[in-house]
Amino acid sequence: MVSCLNKNYYVCTGCALLCDDIEVEVSGDQITTIKTACRKGFSRIRGCIEPMPCIVNGKNVDINTAIKDAAKILKNADKPLIFGLGNSTSEAQKQAIKLAKRIDAFIDDTSSFCQGPTLEAILHGKIRTCTLDDVRNRADVIVYWGADPSNSHPRHLSRYSYFPRGEERQRGWEEDRTAIVIDVRKSHTAKICGDKFFQIPLHTDAFFIDALIDALSGKVPNMLFDYDIKNLLKLANILKKAQFGIIFEGFGIYNIEYMETMARLMGKLNEVSNFHLIPMVEHYNMRGFNQNLFEETGFLNRVKFKKCEKGFDVKYGVDYSIMEVLNTKKIDAALIIGSDPMSYLPRSAAEYLLEIPLVSVGPCENFTSRVAKVTIPSALSGVECGGSAVRMDGVKVRFEPIIKRARLSDEEILKRIIEAI
Amino acid sequence: MKLGKFLTAPEYRLMVVTYRDIFQSAALENSRFGEEYRKLSAVIRMDSKDIKKMGVTEGGTLVVKNSCGKVVVRVEKSAYDVPHQGVAYMPSSPWSNALVSADTGGTGVPKYKIIEVMVSDARGESITIIGV
Repeated sequence: MVSCLNKNYYVCTGCALLCDDIEVEVSGDQITTIKTACRKGFSRIRGCIEPMPCIVNGKNVDINTAIKDAAKILKNADKPLIFGLGNSTSEAQKQAIKLAKRIDAFIDDTSSFCQGPTLEAILHGKIRTCTLDDVRNRADVIVYWGADPSNSHPRHLSRYSYFPRGEERQRGWEEDRTAIVIDVRKSHTAKICGDKFFQIPLHTDAFFIDALIDALSGKVPNMLFDYDIKNLLKLANILKKAQFGIIFEGFGIYNIEYMETMARLMGKLNEVSNFHLIPMVEHYNMRGFNQNLFEETGFLNRVKFKKCEKGFDVKYGVDYSIMEVLNTKKIDAALIIGSDPMSYLPRSAAEYLLEIPLVSVGPCENFTSRVAKVTIPSALSGVECGGSAVRMDGVKVRFEPIIKRARLSDEEILKRIIEAI
Repeated sequence: MKLGKFLTAPEYRLMVVTYRDIFQSAALENSRFGEEYRKLSAVIRMDSKDIKKMGVTEGGTLVVKNSCGKVVVRVEKSAYDVPHQGVAYMPSSPWSNALVSADTGGTGVPKYKIIEVMVSDARGESITIIGV
């Protein structure tokens, strides 16, 4: 909570922008008015209409029984998985890592099938990055690549990337900033960018990047697909002239091969210009999980712990990713925290979760909790409990709860599961 | 009785590109099981020429399937002013994920964004209910 001009401002946990200027009015334990938040944030703060029940085997139980049964499932499993945590505080994530070590678990999160490699490159210093505040104050060329913040992060353009009059960009979007969209689809953000929308055919990102690197190097681009070369040269010219350029990388272009190509493009852009990259992280604290696990193990996701004489071994790699442990049926129980793999994953992979005992922790019912053996209701971060999180650009943000309700936080639930094991 | 009832509906190949929609995201925060989330998720947006070619009615339902799964969703005309015949758009959701392959080619990353499908007129079949 930030106080300013006798007003209290709260942090929205609707996405990884973690907007810290939310005004609310409260009556008792009810939030009656929410100001400043976007449509998504408003919905997050208002809460869901189907709160998570406290259930074991389809029967309502008290929280102590649910925690005890959850602990029993995890203790009895040979190969448990802990998954989710992108919607949990950093404090809860650290408890989950502690639990994973205790029970020799696999631990993974949604970065495993989206922006993991980009964040890994950033954490290893292989890709130049900056903060959103740098963007607001300094950026003159802004590229949304496979990203549509108008829908995914609705206040991105107004708070940070395009419309603000930052310290060195006092003439704002009208004169001081150029916003570009590169995408296979004319998104809402592309409409804002007008003639700076560069639409590329499906499956051509890597070829497009190679051709762009040629253009930035002063070579004749080798176009391996149907594209107007004048358009590509126009784009290269804008990028070259950037004083402070930023690429916001969305889900639209992500794949493993692409990451290597993008790293080459960033290298070239920083030879001829000045560029940075920030991944458009969706869940409010996915990056926090990645950084917490990285500090503990040197890896940011896809980890398996195994106790040994010197403490514990850490195994890492694609074989320990959520997708591969489901595909190969490698796990025999799962603890899902603040996530809904039955919804996010390909259905044919997620269906294996129906075959094993599941524990689901979170503030709201979801597709996964409805098939879980044990469900444990937890406080909604930023509304019912406070803590800290890491914004999409790596800035740590602390937040306080708006209201107090009886539900335990993820952190408290995880501590009690650890105690019960 | 109409003879057409006994004939298989013709199938058309499309590439589906998934996207985020703020109205759908807000509906998800409210209820994953609600009518609004289903309405905003179980939808395929197509080029008007593709809709005309298939002879389906806007607002009607289509079977969208591939080797990974099958869903019935509502068809709508795309609001994009750039023609995109052969390419359709679906919001990222359990309905689009039913069509995503679990085979990650050893990367651990499913191909969520671009999905090859066959579509056909669902002839009044209701939208697939997921997660109830």
